[in-house]
Amino acid sequence: MDFLVFWLSNVPSFAAPFALGVLGMIICERSGVLNLGAEGFVLVGAMSGAGVLISLGDYPLSAIIIAGASASALGLLFGFLVVLLRVNQVIAGLIMVFLAQGLTSLISRNMGWVNKPFSGLGRIDFGFLTDIPFLGPVIFGQDIIVYITILLYILSFYFIYRTNIGLRLRAVGENPDAVDAAGGNVILLRFMAILIGAFFLGVAGGYLTVVVAKIWVDGISGGRGWIIIALVIFARWQLWRSIIGAVLFGCIEALIPRLAAVGVQLPQYFILMLPYVVTILVMIWSNLKGNNKQDTPLALGRPYLREERH
Amino acid sequence: MNYSGNILTKKRLNLEVREPLGLLAKTIIFLISVFLGLSISIFILILSGVNASDLWNEFIIYIFTSQKNLSAVLVQAVPLTIVGLSAAVAFRAKFWNIGIEGQMIFGAIAATFIATNDVGPESMRLALMFLAAAAGGIGWIILPAIIKIRLDVNEIISTLLMNYIAFNFLLHLLYGSWRDPLTGFPNSQQYDAFEIIPLIGWQSLNFSIVIAIFLAAVIFWLFVFSRFGYMLRVLHSNANMAQSLGIRVGILIFLATIISGALAGICGFAVSAGIESRMTQSFFVGYGFSGILIAFLARENPIGILIVSLLFSILVIGGQSLQVFYQIPFAMVQLIQAIIVMCVAGSEFFIRYRISILKR
Repeated sequence: MDFLVFWLSNVPSFAAPFALGVLGMIICERSGVLNLGAEGFVLVGAMSGAGVLISLGDYPLSAIIIAGASASALGLLFGFLVVLLRVNQVIAGLIMVFLAQGLTSLISRNMGWVNKPFSGLGRIDFGFLTDIPFLGPVIFGQDIIVYITILLYILSFYFIYRTNIGLRLRAVGENPDAVDAAGGNVILLRFMAILIGAFFLGVAGGYLTVVVAKIWVDGISGGRGWIIIALVIFARWQLWRSIIGAVLFGCIEALIPRLAAVGVQLPQYFILMLPYVVTILVMIWSNLKGNNKQDTPLALGRPYLREERH
Repeated sequence: MNYSGNILTKKRLNLEVREPLGLLAKTIIFLISVFLGLSISIFILILSGVNASDLWNEFIIYIFTSQKNLSAVLVQAVPLTIVGLSAAVAFRAKFWNIGIEGQMIFGAIAATFIATNDVGPESMRLALMFLAAAAGGIGWIILPAIIKIRLDVNEIISTLLMNYIAFNFLLHLLYGSWRDPLTGFPNSQQYDAFEIIPLIGWQSLNFSIVIAIFLAAVIFWLFVFSRFGYMLRVLHSNANMAQSLGIRVGILIFLATIISGALAGICGFAVSAGIESRMTQSFFVGYGFSGILIAFLARENPIGILIVSLLFSILVIGGQSLQVFYQIPFAMVQLIQAIIVMCVAGSEFFIRYRISILKR
C-alpha cells in the first residue's frame, strides 16, 4: 500500500514534462510543421531554467517561464529555417538537436552551471487536504506546475477546437492552400505555432531541472524529447489521447526509482532501458492498429510556397 | 482615384521556383554558405575567449606543418568516413538512420566478444572481429528496418531510441562482467597485439585508412555502377514510380539499411581496434551526428564523403587542442558542425527559389 501511494504520488511530476512537451508538439505539428528538434528545445529549456536559478536567484516560476522563452528563441531560428527558407524539416529538426546539444554544453560550461544543485520548486501543501490518506498525497501533494499543466490542457483544448484561430491552425496543417485562399497568413500561423510549441517544450525542459532533478548536467533530458515525439504519434495528434500517453510514461518513470527503493533485484541498466523499450513497443502497437495515416495532419512536413504547384 | 493609384504602385515580394542552376552557381552558393558558417563559428569561438591568431595556428599551421598532427587527422578521418558512408547508404533509400551510434556500440561489442574470448586462430582474429562487428551493426538495425517496412513505424525515432538501449547495455557490460580485470576501469580489457589494426609505418597511421578508402570505393561502385544503385536512385527520386515499375521497394530499403548498419558496426570496430585498442564507454560519442551531417554535406557522394570527413577531422583534431589549452568543451566541435550544416541547408533556398519584387 505504501509502495502504491509513493508510486502514484510521484506519477504526476514525471508525467508533467511529457504532457507539456506533447502539448507543444501537437500545437506545432497541427500547423503542418514536423518538429524533430524536440530534444533540442527541451535541452535549451532545461539549461535556461537551471541557469536562472543558479545565476539570478531563487525564482523557480520565473525560471520556468524563461526556460520556455529561451526555447522559443531557438524556435525563432527553427521557424526561419523551415517556414521562410523552406529547409527540409527533417534536416532542420536534427540540426536543432545538434545545435542545442553543443550550445547548452558550451554555455553551461562557460557560465559554471554544471553540477550545481539548487533548491528548485517544491510541492504545495494543502494542509488537511494533503493529509487525506491515499488521495491526499496523490491529488493534493503536487507542485504548482502540475495543476497549471491541467489548466493549460483545458485552455488549449478550447483554443484548438473552439476558436476561429484554432480552426485556422488545424486547417493550415491539412490544406495550407485553402487557408491562403481564404485570406489566412500561412507563414504567420506556422511561425506562431512553432513559437508556442517551442515554449511548451522549453517549459517541459525547465520542469526537468527546476522541479525534478534540481541540477543541470549535459544531456539531462536523456532522450525525453524523442519519447515526446513518439507520444505525439501514439496520441495521433489528439490532445485527450496525449494525456493517456503522458500518464503512462509518468507511471513507468516513477516506477524506476521506486523499484530500486524497495530493493527489487534487477540489473540497474536494464531498468534504465525500460522507457525506451516501452516507447518502441508503443509505436509498434499503435501502428499495428493501423489507421494512423488518416489522423496525421495532411501537410505535415511539407513546406508551403504559394507559387509552387501541388 | 487615389485609392486605385495606391494599389497600382504597391510592391510586394514574390517567391518563385527557379530554373535549375548550373554547377558553377551552385558551387559559389555552397562556398559562400560554408564561409558564412565558419565566420559565425569563429565569432562564437572568439566570444568564448580564444585568440583569433591561435585559431589560425591550431586549425591550419599546426596541422599542416607537423607530421604527427597530419597523421592524427588522417586517423580521425577513418571512422568519420565510415559513418558518413553508413548514413549515406541509408539516406539513399530514404531511411533516416539516426541510430548509427547504437549500431557502432553493438559492432564494438561483437568485435570485443571475439577478442576477449579468443575465438578463432590468431592470424584470422582481426578478420573475424571485422565480420562480427558488421554482424553486430546489422543486428542492431534489423528491428527498426523491419518495423519501418512492415508497419511504417518512424525510423528516426526507433533508431534513436535504440541508441539509448544500446548505451545502457554497454554500461551493463562494462560495469559488470566485462570490466577490465587489470585496472578495474569500466572499459574492456586491452586487445592483444594481433587484435589491433597494424600500423602502416608512418606516424600513428594504421591500415584502417585502407579499409575506409576500400569501403568508399565499394559504395561508389554500388551507387554509380550497380543495378542496386540504379534502383536506389529511382526510389530516391520517386517512391511511387519505383513501386509501379516493379521494383521491390521493401527489399531494396531492407538491403540498404543492412549495409548501413554493417558499416556503422565496422566503424565501431575501427574505433575500438584502430584508435582505442579496447572498448571504452564513450568511444562512439558524436559519430552518429557527424555521420549524418557528413552525408548531408557531401550529398551522399562517397568521394565527397572522403573530402568532408577530412575537413571534419581537422575540426576535431584542432578542437582537441583548443580543449587542452582553452578548456573549450568538446561540444564546441559539434556546435560548429551544426552551424555549418545549418548555413548550407539554408543556402539551398537560394538555389531553388528566386525572390523578385513585383509591382502591380
